[in-house]
Amino acid sequence: MNGVETEASDKSSVLQHLTASDLDIPHVCYHPSLGAIETCDTCIVSVNGELVRSCSTGLKNGDIIETASEEVRKAQVIGMDRILHNHELYCTVCDYNNGNCEVHNTVKEMKINHQSIPFEPKKPYEADRSHPYYRYDPDQCILCGRCVEACQDVQVTETLSIDWERERPRVIWDNDVPINESSCVSCGHCSTVCPCNAMMEKGMEGEAGYLTGIDRDTLRPMIEITKAVETGYGSILAISDMESAMRDERINKTKTVCTYCGVGCSFEIWTKGREILKVEPHAEAPANGISTCVKGKFGWEFVNSEERLTKPLIREGDAFREAEWDEAISLIARKFGEIKNTYGPDAFGFISSSKCTNEEAYLMQKLGRGIIGTNNIDNCSRYCQTPATLGLFRTVGHGGDSGGIKDIQNSDLVIGVGTNTSESHPVLATRIKRAHKLKGQKLIVADLRKHEMAERADLFVRPAPGSDLVWLSAVAKYIIDQGWADEEFIQNRVNGYGNYVESLAPFTLEFAEQETGISKEELIRIAEMIHDAKTVCVLWAMGVTQHSGGSDTSTAISNLMLITGNYGKPGAGTYPLRGHNNVQGASDFGSMPNRLPGYQHIEEERVRKNFEHGWGVKLPEKPGLNNHEMVEGMHSGTLKAMYLKGEDMGIVDSNINHVHSGFEKLDFFVVQDIFLSRTAQFADVVLPASPSLEKEGTFTNTERRIQRLYQVLEPLGESKPDWQIIQEVANAVGANWDYKHPSDIMEEAAQLTPLFAGVTYERLEGFKSLQWPVAEDGTDTPNLFMEEFPFPDGKAIVFPLQWTKPVHFGEEYDIHVNNGRLLEHFHEGNLTYKAKGITSKTPSVFLEVSPELAAERGLKNGTLVRLTSPYGNVKVKCHITDRVQGKEVYLPMNDNGDAAINLLTSSYADKDTDTPAYKETMAKMEILQSEGTDPLPSINHRNGNPQPQIGVNVQKKWARKDYIFPGDLVKKEMR
Amino acid sequence: MAKATKTVYRQEFTQEELRSKDLREVEDALIDNKDALLESLSILNHMHERGILTLLNGLFGQGDKVLNILVKTADTPETSNTLKNLLLLTGVLGTLNVKQIEPLLLKVNSGVARVAEMNDTEEKTSYFSLVKALKDPEINRAITLLLSFLKGMGEKTEQKERQTEEFSVQRRDPGKSLG
Repeated sequence: MNGVETEASDKSSVLQHLTASDLDIPHVCYHPSLGAIETCDTCIVSVNGELVRSCSTGLKNGDIIETASEEVRKAQVIGMDRILHNHELYCTVCDYNNGNCEVHNTVKEMKINHQSIPFEPKKPYEADRSHPYYRYDPDQCILCGRCVEACQDVQVTETLSIDWERERPRVIWDNDVPINESSCVSCGHCSTVCPCNAMMEKGMEGEAGYLTGIDRDTLRPMIEITKAVETGYGSILAISDMESAMRDERINKTKTVCTYCGVGCSFEIWTKGREILKVEPHAEAPANGISTCVKGKFGWEFVNSEERLTKPLIREGDAFREAEWDEAISLIARKFGEIKNTYGPDAFGFISSSKCTNEEAYLMQKLGRGIIGTNNIDNCSRYCQTPATLGLFRTVGHGGDSGGIKDIQNSDLVIGVGTNTSESHPVLATRIKRAHKLKGQKLIVADLRKHEMAERADLFVRPAPGSDLVWLSAVAKYIIDQGWADEEFIQNRVNGYGNYVESLAPFTLEFAEQETGISKEELIRIAEMIHDAKTVCVLWAMGVTQHSGGSDTSTAISNLMLITGNYGKPGAGTYPLRGHNNVQGASDFGSMPNRLPGYQHIEEERVRKNFEHGWGVKLPEKPGLNNHEMVEGMHSGTLKAMYLKGEDMGIVDSNINHVHSGFEKLDFFVVQDIFLSRTAQFADVVLPASPSLEKEGTFTNTERRIQRLYQVLEPLGESKPDWQIIQEVANAVGANWDYKHPSDIMEEAAQLTPLFAGVTYERLEGFKSLQWPVAEDGTDTPNLFMEEFPFPDGKAIVFPLQWTKPVHFGEEYDIHVNNGRLLEHFHEGNLTYKAKGITSKTPSVFLEVSPELAAERGLKNGTLVRLTSPYGNVKVKCHITDRVQGKEVYLPMNDNGDAAINLLTSSYADKDTDTPAYKETMAKMEILQSEGTDPLPSINHRNGNPQPQIGVNVQKKWARKDYIFPGDLVKKEMR
Repeated sequence: MAKATKTVYRQEFTQEELRSKDLREVEDALIDNKDALLESLSILNHMHERGILTLLNGLFGQGDKVLNILVKTADTPETSNTLKNLLLLTGVLGTLNVKQIEPLLLKVNSGVARVAEMNDTEEKTSYFSLVKALKDPEINRAITLLLSFLKGMGEKTEQKERQTEEFSVQRRDPGKSLG
């Protein structure tokens, strides 16, 4: 290298090696998370006398690399000149002038003072400002193709491309439609990776700079002056650097963790006062890197909503009045005291939140158990993932994902069962879509609906609702019968095999075909694909767990992975995809009726003694009520008081008419939330809490990864972080707590919980994270079960099962009402409907109806129907789509009015965990109004027209008549 | 037995209560920032005395208009040239070696002084008086100085210019190539 011998890895490119050796080679289109795109031609160096792009040239032993010669420099300058032909430099009045503009920085590093090809606007294109959240300005676009690469091969929505055949190429959406009418899912990848201001978040426009908020009329002449005055870029760049440094004074960049699903995306939020300018992901974010989805990138308007609660509310008859904190807390203390004296501690119920932090989950259960004296504490994982946790406890001993998102990405075969991954866990889904598109990963999807993952799958099967256990067991039996089971793994690491094999006897292919509707051939194909793959990951979610046999089906998945040896190695295992940001953590930190933090059994005396010693209290011994049982307690009169935080139980629990009448029977009900939720409307005292952006703490994502969030904004009005409120309530009823900061709480939890022994805030600083179990020295566990399973003899257990048939509602209820999430709205939508841009594209809920059903019943797009189950009814407009088939309809859960799905659901539940069987819902349908407007507007991304291709198709650029590789140009000149 | 309700009675404050609450906040702020405020007041006072406040008031009050006029005025070739020259000169000034220039400037000064003293005369300098003048030590020193200055001026300085290195690569199709 430049005459000096160096050592390098043969896996890295020349550019990577040079950068790692601190040799600054210019580069604009290369992005560490996207790889070589080969469009910018600025990273040219000489390798063995040839001028080549260093980003795409691999290193070989003995290569001679020159980076400083005149011809290298000349070639690089030609590349940069061509970029500047496409980009107007007006940095000081540009909103992207924040120190990270790669065009600016490269011009500066290359010490370019003038350009030989003057900037020319890309006529006739106008800037496209149609999308609510980002704009595209062709005149500023340098055609580097990063956005296309990100859209095609990272997010894999396949909307963006560059049309290289035009005289002036530009980025286009679908087949050249305005952004807002395309298949764009608003994930924000393109604006995140754009190296300049071409693709920019609208939140930044006119806000980021000191001079950028100026009227357009004034701004244009200003740009002209800036350009006319330039004596060479040096002095202009110096001034813009100063302006950019000044911006740091008023723009804060704070790391936080997203609360919209269990993937655990972390990123920085840029704020100016209370205004959110943009969300900026970073390559070093452990779960998501540069990725986000629409909610994480653009869904934060709710924090400044006028509907936020800013003062405590106290009920007076049939209304609330605003009150001071002191009054509210002393009222709670008095009422709690009276009820405890009269009815005892078990008349209380505590509901923790999967949206709150680990520290807050810990405090809530400490208050319930340690101060009030009851184990009646639960959280909303009861509504979703408790069956998965139980299935894993039965078989492998830890209730969490076996590995991380990287393992899913690197797996040979991914099987998704009852998971609408690309809508419910969008960023995690991108890793599968990418691996499937580019790396030859195989994908099997078992689901009722033909959602995006199903469309992409190598094999898509549609089992009859509630029959997953049957086909999973039949596949396991077939694998064993063929002699494809991993005998060595079973021998060394699994107990109970004999009994298990016997239990499979009824699950013949014939039986499975008859009960599930999946053909024998397809079942055999699944078995073969598992057999052929070196590593298999199974992902599952609510389509499995929210059934009468949810725990059993989860167990069947784990059984199948055990007998095929797909545990204890990277790239394999079971992945119950956690739905909320802290579903994992809420249970991890003890908000469960039978387990203390770290899943330690309340019934074990040794465990209790440890906590009693740590907390200086006596603990109740017998497990408490789960939230399903609490509702029954309200009805039977045994549960008198409830303290619930951050959970809209009155919307998300099943059979909500029944839940509402339970709430009405409570003597005293305290709800802590950021809005006056449906649940809060039943409360006696409502306490205003602060959302994640207004506090510190930690969340644990689906990978068991603990991550810190920092405070982005001050609490709004008189709202307070939940941990502070719980502490005030606890101290008012006699606790003597003195937590100054969430780290004090984590320190205490870590001392009492072997699973988190080594968790400290220092080890979680910035983007650092830990995957539990964490040993005292801070060693964490990215992959579980590598050596052994956490059972006495270190062996896993295969668990014999029987099939529980789904609930039958009776003949008249002939429509199966599937339900779940949508990409763009979070749950019932009380957060995301506050985002105007999201709501403009998806204004309301809709009922997906199959073309067959539409033809049979005379339904059209926009027909208003009523669905009636034995438990209630909903009114909703139809949208006809082949994502659903036959008499199966899909009702997303994003409504809290007349179309709230839980008006239909029953109180039937998983037999082992009481998780409601939301997915076993049948209804009858009647038409209320035949004509209406389609509830899904034409600008919704589902109506778009994606244009799949691999990357940016740079070969088409190279094939242009007017393109000559700068290296060739220089060589010709030198000759 | 609580029925669901969305009715919330906001805390109503009388005008009087609001006013005293606001006053209290202002008072607190005043006390917390006593020193800074007093100092700012004295600065404001000075500015007021010199009429700067009135000027700024006009400027800020009509901010957009003023800026627009300013920018449009500035957006002419003359003004941009002035600015450009200023930027160029600033750059050049930075490269001057004042230590070396100082004695030279002193000499120029005293030369200028002599010239200023001299009345416009009809006196002419003949070839012989020129040669004779070379013997004058003061004149001789000045000529030597000028000669070395001229030599310095003749040196190549292209590399030091604040301009891009323009490459003389001939392009078959300049201007239209892609970025």
